[in-house]
Amino acid sequence: MTVAESEVSLASRRRRRWSRHRVMGAVAPYALLAPAAVVLGAVLFYPLYLIARLSFEKYGLFELIRHQGKWIGLDNYTQIIHDGQFWRVLVRTIVFTAVNVSLTMVLGTAIALLLVKVSGVVRYMLTGALVFVWATPVVVAVDVWRWIVDPQFGILNWALTKLHAGDFFHHDWFVNPWSGFAVITGLVVWGAIPFVAITVFAGLSQVPGELIEAARIDGARSWNVFREVTFPLLKPIFVILASLSIIWDFQVFNQIWIMLDQRPSADYYLMSVYSFVESFRLSEYGLGSAIAVVMVLIMFAVTFVYIRQMVKAGEVR
Amino acid sequence: MKVRFLVVAVLAAMLAVAATTASGGTKKGQADKIVVWLQDDAKNGWPEAVAAATKAFQAKHPGAEVDVQYQQWTTHLTKLDAAIAGNNAPDVVEMGNTETTKYMAAGAFAPMQAKSFPNSKKWLSGLKDSCTYGGKLLCVPYYTGARAVIYRKDYYRAAGLKGTPKTLDQFVVDGKKLMKKYGSDRNFSAFYFPGKNWYASMGFVYDYGGQIAVRTGGKWKGTLNSPQAIRGLTKLKSVVRALSRAPLTVDEAHPYPSIPFGKGSVASFVGNGWEWPYTLDPKVGNPDLAPVMAAYPMPSHIKGRYMPTFLGGSDLAVPITSSKKSLAVDWIAAFTNSANMRAVAKAGNIPNATSLVGFTKGLPKVEPFAKAAKYSWFIPKSPNWANVENANVLQDMCSQILSGSKSVKAATTSASNAITKILNAG
Repeated sequence: MTVAESEVSLASRRRRRWSRHRVMGAVAPYALLAPAAVVLGAVLFYPLYLIARLSFEKYGLFELIRHQGKWIGLDNYTQIIHDGQFWRVLVRTIVFTAVNVSLTMVLGTAIALLLVKVSGVVRYMLTGALVFVWATPVVVAVDVWRWIVDPQFGILNWALTKLHAGDFFHHDWFVNPWSGFAVITGLVVWGAIPFVAITVFAGLSQVPGELIEAARIDGARSWNVFREVTFPLLKPIFVILASLSIIWDFQVFNQIWIMLDQRPSADYYLMSVYSFVESFRLSEYGLGSAIAVVMVLIMFAVTFVYIRQMVKAGEVR
Repeated sequence: MKVRFLVVAVLAAMLAVAATTASGGTKKGQADKIVVWLQDDAKNGWPEAVAAATKAFQAKHPGAEVDVQYQQWTTHLTKLDAAIAGNNAPDVVEMGNTETTKYMAAGAFAPMQAKSFPNSKKWLSGLKDSCTYGGKLLCVPYYTGARAVIYRKDYYRAAGLKGTPKTLDQFVVDGKKLMKKYGSDRNFSAFYFPGKNWYASMGFVYDYGGQIAVRTGGKWKGTLNSPQAIRGLTKLKSVVRALSRAPLTVDEAHPYPSIPFGKGSVASFVGNGWEWPYTLDPKVGNPDLAPVMAAYPMPSHIKGRYMPTFLGGSDLAVPITSSKKSLAVDWIAAFTNSANMRAVAKAGNIPNATSLVGFTKGLPKVEPFAKAAKYSWFIPKSPNWANVENANVLQDMCSQILSGSKSVKAATTSASNAITKILNAG
């Protein structure tokens, strides 16, 4: 700051007063951003650069021990593209993300609308429960869910059997990947709802009551009020929430990794798990990095297209 | 406007992939401190041997410190890779005898002299093989162990069984009697068999004359879809279906079968020697079972033989990155001396040298396992083998077969193809 200031004051001697303000105004934001930029560069862009470089190298155990990779150009990427498993994992990840984001958004919004309707006490209890879920660390949450669905000692099998929903004695939810993914989806959505619900609820308090009242007088029903009044007003919030949810759900890792004893079968690979297995299990760090880079690019494309559209439509301000 | 959101989008996308990185490793210490990575087994089974080794080591090197850090089988290689990458690798590391080849081939371990270690002239040849690569000794045999059937004598007696079964068919007949007697408790298993227990599953493959893979003309070929292997695995499926109610998507360590066994709902399971004392450990098991527990080698379908058991074991290596190699070697020498090997044997293992096998005599808790080791099988010796294990190829196959989610033929074919691909990879 002091350097910037002295430079600015030197310059201002030869200029008029308004000019000095102008220079200050131009420099100050960058000076203020500099520390954050340096930190981001060190902890984010440098590792990203390393991953990108690694993805062009043969980097296995042999290279790891010597700390020296071998440049092989696009070979890792060619190998990925010709690997059937990569495409299966990619499709699975996209479907998983779509399902999880949709469920999170719909249920989160529904709970937010409910929060508006209920009485004060109930609202506090609900909000408290939501914050509690939100505050639960992922590892703890996974362990809790694991106990719930445990084939031998889990409460879910016991409860379903007691409720005469069928014979769930020793039922193993992870034999069939569909039911296994249903459990994981439940866990992910459960953990993501509070953020959406609380944010949308905060947004709802900003919707002017007169607008809703006017709509009701015009004979609009609840659903129409939501569709025609509330949703358009809160659209920017929904855009941000959806984008963040996509980003989070696209890279789900801990839930699968911990739930399946750090040895998930290939049926349970999502992109992040696949990349980790290639890197740290098979010691193919170059190939694993290439998968991670592809993941970054896909995510970048998704968020970019989505946000650009909103900016174009002039709806995000 | 556009630009700003573009920047936001870029940042958001990139933040999103603040990638999953494993951290681990050890602090860089003083000049005379060595870091030792042992598996949990030593902590549970023979902590006194570890303490004795450190004491003897310190008598030779006064002031030297030993930091023993216990690792788990599922994660220790990931941590080791990360530690090597970060120049923080330990000075001594325990490796499974199926894991060493990959690391030896990559040059991860420092060469050593056999004469620096006690009993080295009599080392078990199987373990010594797993420590030799390109004619060099790159690790030190530690111990080996076979698996056998650990069972409840009282349950067997109550179900009217006379002695232990001598053939696989008898084993099934006996198991069905147990299921008849106790099976109304729906938690009960006559023979508790987790679906991903690939070590025990492969015993059936080798018993029926199958193999995991064969090497011909310099190329590997997965052979689990051979008629012999399929016969073995089909038999396994019928045995497990009839006698086990264990979960089918877990392996033999999550939870250890000794835990349901300790709760009384299991009449028998395939276990390592150390799982017997582990079952009786008051912290995790049930000491009351001491008078009613025993073990016998798993019978073969051929009369008078045992089913081949996996000859698992551990070695001790010094990573090439260690700066205290001679200290590390001295600690390993102290840890593998005869007295400490006796402690390892007492916990249910076979010590590292033929001259020490006598330690297992007269130990009822070790003898059945030593007997079972008479018929054994081992993994294909390829530097790529560890990747077959790490990619869960065999575990997934076993789980698919036993749960019925794939037919034996479909599951073995896809596993064989995967094994062929991995073993022949550059």
